[in-house]
Amino acid sequence: MRIGLVCPYSFDAPGGVQNHVLGLARQLARAGHQPHILAPGLFPELVEGRREAAGRVEFTSAGQAIAVPYNGSIARVNFGPLSATRVRRWLRAGDFDLVHIHEPITPSIALLALWAADVPVVATFHTATPRSRTMQLAGGALRASIEKIDAGIAVSESARRVVVHHLGRDAMVIPNGFDFAAFAPPPPEKWAQTTATRRVNLSPPPSFPRSRRPRVTFLGRVDEPRKGLDVLLRALPAIRAGLGDVDVVVAGQGSIPAPAGVRLLGAISDEDKAQLLRGSDVFVAPHRERESFGIVLLEAMAAGASVVASALPAFADLLRPADLLRTEGGSDPLGELVPIGDASALAEAVLATVRRPPPGRTARARERARRYDWSEVAPAITAVYHATLATTAPTRRVIAT
Amino acid sequence: MTPAELFAVLVIVLLAIGWRLSWLATRLDRAHTRVERRWAALDAALVRRAQAALEAARGAAIDPASSLLVCDVAAAALVADLDPAAREQRESDLSRVLALVPLDGVATYSERVELAHRLHNDAVATASALRRRPSVVLFRLAGHAAEPRAFEMAVSGELTWPRGFVG
Repeated sequence: MRIGLVCPYSFDAPGGVQNHVLGLARQLARAGHQPHILAPGLFPELVEGRREAAGRVEFTSAGQAIAVPYNGSIARVNFGPLSATRVRRWLRAGDFDLVHIHEPITPSIALLALWAADVPVVATFHTATPRSRTMQLAGGALRASIEKIDAGIAVSESARRVVVHHLGRDAMVIPNGFDFAAFAPPPPEKWAQTTATRRVNLSPPPSFPRSRRPRVTFLGRVDEPRKGLDVLLRALPAIRAGLGDVDVVVAGQGSIPAPAGVRLLGAISDEDKAQLLRGSDVFVAPHRERESFGIVLLEAMAAGASVVASALPAFADLLRPADLLRTEGGSDPLGELVPIGDASALAEAVLATVRRPPPGRTARARERARRYDWSEVAPAITAVYHATLATTAPTRRVIAT
Repeated sequence: MTPAELFAVLVIVLLAIGWRLSWLATRLDRAHTRVERRWAALDAALVRRAQAALEAARGAAIDPASSLLVCDVAAAALVADLDPAAREQRESDLSRVLALVPLDGVATYSERVELAHRLHNDAVATASALRRRPSVVLFRLAGHAAEPRAFEMAVSGELTWPRGFVG
């Protein structure tokens, strides 16, 4: 199947939607499809000169995104006749069987692709929806575009509710995928071998062996308040008072003055991230807002770190999944949820997790995380593709010259 | 100097001071009134600009991405009873987006906003200068009139960016 994947956000910046699109494209290529990504900016593999790493994923740049005020913050977006022409040219050249558009209702190439597409359209809603007032006013102009979506996918139950409420459409809930094997500890017989090779190849930062001190890890931009690093820092005195010497590791982009007693690693590679999580006792996610899914929680769960996260809806969906609590009878969640921005509750949850880890929780969390592996998620998405193609009238397209 | 003469001089001096103070009070009152009128004009110009932008953005001649972008900032600017800082932010956002998205028939409204904005802030500067004069401060000639506030907003041509992007 020739599949056009549209990502409205640039791969130059890290982000959940970008990772999802890239992971899906690779999985589709592995399954024998021909995925082709359209996104602003440059493709990471092209930038780093590792073309072959992208496998059979084709990439087209939609040009540089422009920073504009949107939805109460600054968004990097593409719009206007020039972008529209680029999108149309990509659609024509790609000759796709189907296009899969991510975050379709954003002022971006996603909406432009939806507007211009003349093949069946599958759309995935992550988190971005217009403010309701914007929707009221722009609704008329957008309705035709919204109607063109043949099948909608929402990454979580809360994302689906937003789609139903704001756009008047329904959507299948299919979660974001990730590479479970990259985070899960390797089987024992392979362990010695991989650590040996890693030790040779590992560039700084060095490896993260599990030390005697309990390790508490934070991942995410350090200078963005919504990631909540400050909450962890405020909780540290209480954590130290309860546990003594604690190894606190913070990895993520951005520059801040190094807080006392904290190891700042800066941005790290995916491989180092996996190793860091495998050597962590507690992974904290004190995020304040706007986390659409929380793939990083799944990564920590796969790696066997206990999770302490703020009670955002997306995080609660992952740590207290309704079906799990129902079917397995237990009321024990897969990680601790603490009130957003509450440092003392965070400290308490970390202390409780390290001192009295609930029996079997990490094993259950790992099994749960396995369900979000690409091998489980991608087939659910391709099933939507097939159902869409089976029920859309074939279009006889005249190839314009 | 006889006591009568001394008294006469005192009366004349007091009258002169009184006359000067009342003259200052009159000027102050005029300045405040002007600020109010100009604010009303700026407010109206801003509302008309946002409405014109909305109308143009919902037309058929524009791509949906541009349309969504303009509708979002215009709708945000049209929310009633914003506090001044929020209003400044939202009108600046609208200016920034309008500088990037050419819309038919909105340029006139943007020009009117620019003019009204300059006139308003000029009136505010005049009133503030008067209010800072020592005799006005000493005799509290400004009374209970609120301190006039300049409307700080980006208009086309002077677009400055806040730090930090959200992608």
